[in-house]
Amino acid sequence: MNIYLPIAEMSVNVALFLGLGSAVGFLSGLFGVGGGFLLTPLLIFMGVPSAVAVGTGSMQILASSVSGAIAQYRRNNVDVKMGAVLVIGGVIGSVIGVSLMKILRQAGQFDLFVSLSYVTFLGAVGALMMIESLGTLRRSKSGQPSSVRKTGQHSWVHGLPFKMRFHRSKLYISAVPPAMIGAFVGFMAAIMGVGGGFVMVPAMIYLLRVPTSVVIGTSLFQIVFVMAVTTLLQAMQNKAVDVVLALVLILGGVIGAQFGAAAGGRLKGEQLRFMLAALVLLVCLRIGWDLMAKPAEIYSIGPVLGGGF
Amino acid sequence: MQRLLACLLATVIAVPALAQDRATPRLGPVSPPAAQPPSPVQKPTVEADISTRSLEVTTGFTGHEIIVFGAVDNSQAPQEHGGYYDVVVVVEGTPFPVVVRKKSDVAGVWINTSSVTFASVPSYYAIASTRPIEEIAGPPVLERHAIGFQHIKMTPAAGSRGILKDYELAAYRTAVIRLKKAQNLYVIQPKDGVTFTGRSLFRSTIALPANVPVGPLVARTYLFRNGEVISAHIARVTLQRAGIERLVHNFAFVYSMSYGLIAVLIAVASGLLASAYFRRQPA
Repeated sequence: MNIYLPIAEMSVNVALFLGLGSAVGFLSGLFGVGGGFLLTPLLIFMGVPSAVAVGTGSMQILASSVSGAIAQYRRNNVDVKMGAVLVIGGVIGSVIGVSLMKILRQAGQFDLFVSLSYVTFLGAVGALMMIESLGTLRRSKSGQPSSVRKTGQHSWVHGLPFKMRFHRSKLYISAVPPAMIGAFVGFMAAIMGVGGGFVMVPAMIYLLRVPTSVVIGTSLFQIVFVMAVTTLLQAMQNKAVDVVLALVLILGGVIGAQFGAAAGGRLKGEQLRFMLAALVLLVCLRIGWDLMAKPAEIYSIGPVLGGGF
Repeated sequence: MQRLLACLLATVIAVPALAQDRATPRLGPVSPPAAQPPSPVQKPTVEADISTRSLEVTTGFTGHEIIVFGAVDNSQAPQEHGGYYDVVVVVEGTPFPVVVRKKSDVAGVWINTSSVTFASVPSYYAIASTRPIEEIAGPPVLERHAIGFQHIKMTPAAGSRGILKDYELAAYRTAVIRLKKAQNLYVIQPKDGVTFTGRSLFRSTIALPANVPVGPLVARTYLFRNGEVISAHIARVTLQRAGIERLVHNFAFVYSMSYGLIAVLIAVASGLLASAYFRRQPA
């Protein structure tokens, strides 16, 4: 069955996109990640205009994070104060990202920017994850205990002004680093169509030293609010949110995530992290290859986008 | 009524010239005087129409087949099933401005480095003809009537050409045609794109693809004889969004803020609904 997407302006096979949504949902359920970093490149690969892929991705991520965020909040796993600082930063980052996206689209450099962002972030995060998981795997094989969070360690982060007390995280740190992290993630979310958990979670753990028990909940809290704002901004500024496409992807994603979560329960954490790292690096290499290899067609056509800078 | 009068008038002043045309024996009952065959001296003209006057792009739109049919009035064709005249049908979509970008290798990465904006490029362009168009007429005639991909009117927007040389601009032009062909938006109907039934009736089927840009389409029908256009006719068909498809699209572009808010609500609602349905334990 085919369906005509009103914003992407293309006729697509529903079964194919449901399958795509559930495949990404399966992987996100398996690894416990949002999956935006897989979904957006796949949509672009399927011929969805990159702006629509990014904008619709935000809507899909909002749908897939909202129930998780509520559940975490009920379990008191959200540092609301920290979350609020992250959201404020995130909204600022998102506004900048969506506006930059508009400018880049007019200049014809948006696709390049998206690809470069993906290669950079996925490359960096994937490599770090790979190194870490290989280390843990080696340690677990030799019988040594895996590393635990070192409390009381101070870094440059703790010397900044605007100190705030984050009770839930048992932290007394400057509000600047969380706001910066939030802004960075919001910017990425707007440009790349990702939730940004894969940057936010390590940043909170390693830079801010937020207890792991509240990291997931707090980052989901931020993702929900920032994705809602990003969806709205993408719809208003770039007309890039395809509700019909999003619904198909959400439906597929929900189904896939059920199986993914079940499969994930049977695997060890270290194994999962290793596989996730490998997947992230693969996506990075694929996008990188497309940038470097001589394209079969060096010309491209597009509509003239109205509006000034 | 006008045609009837013209016919009568023509018969009165007609000089029987083309005997072969007259010689064809008429079958069937004797026609009333008004329906007499038109005089051969009258110039043959072409009339055409499209099977559908308006097409709707709905959520289920997967393309549509239109039939351009017509007749040659005052046909002097000696035998049935064509061969005497050539008919070319060109179906053109709404012209839009288009940016063509060219990539080049910048330090190992392929980047869009230059571009040309064409002020108006037909969003869709299909040709159907009785024979390959190169056999029907020479380039000057095809150029004059914008028949054939290389004769599509495509002028660079003011100030967009820059310092490009002619051959460079031509490369951009051919790139547009190549890319549009790859998207199935510029098509040449295969052999026998236009077929004659009888001495004057012809028809042509043109399949609009699912990705045909929304907007009015124009079907130009040309009647050729000996490499010259002897008559032409224009018919129009509208192609517009309808139903939910129209609603969503208009909403997104006109009331984009409300659309965005509704998108957020839908996302939240569907996320909650789905998790309630599956009663999943979130991570």
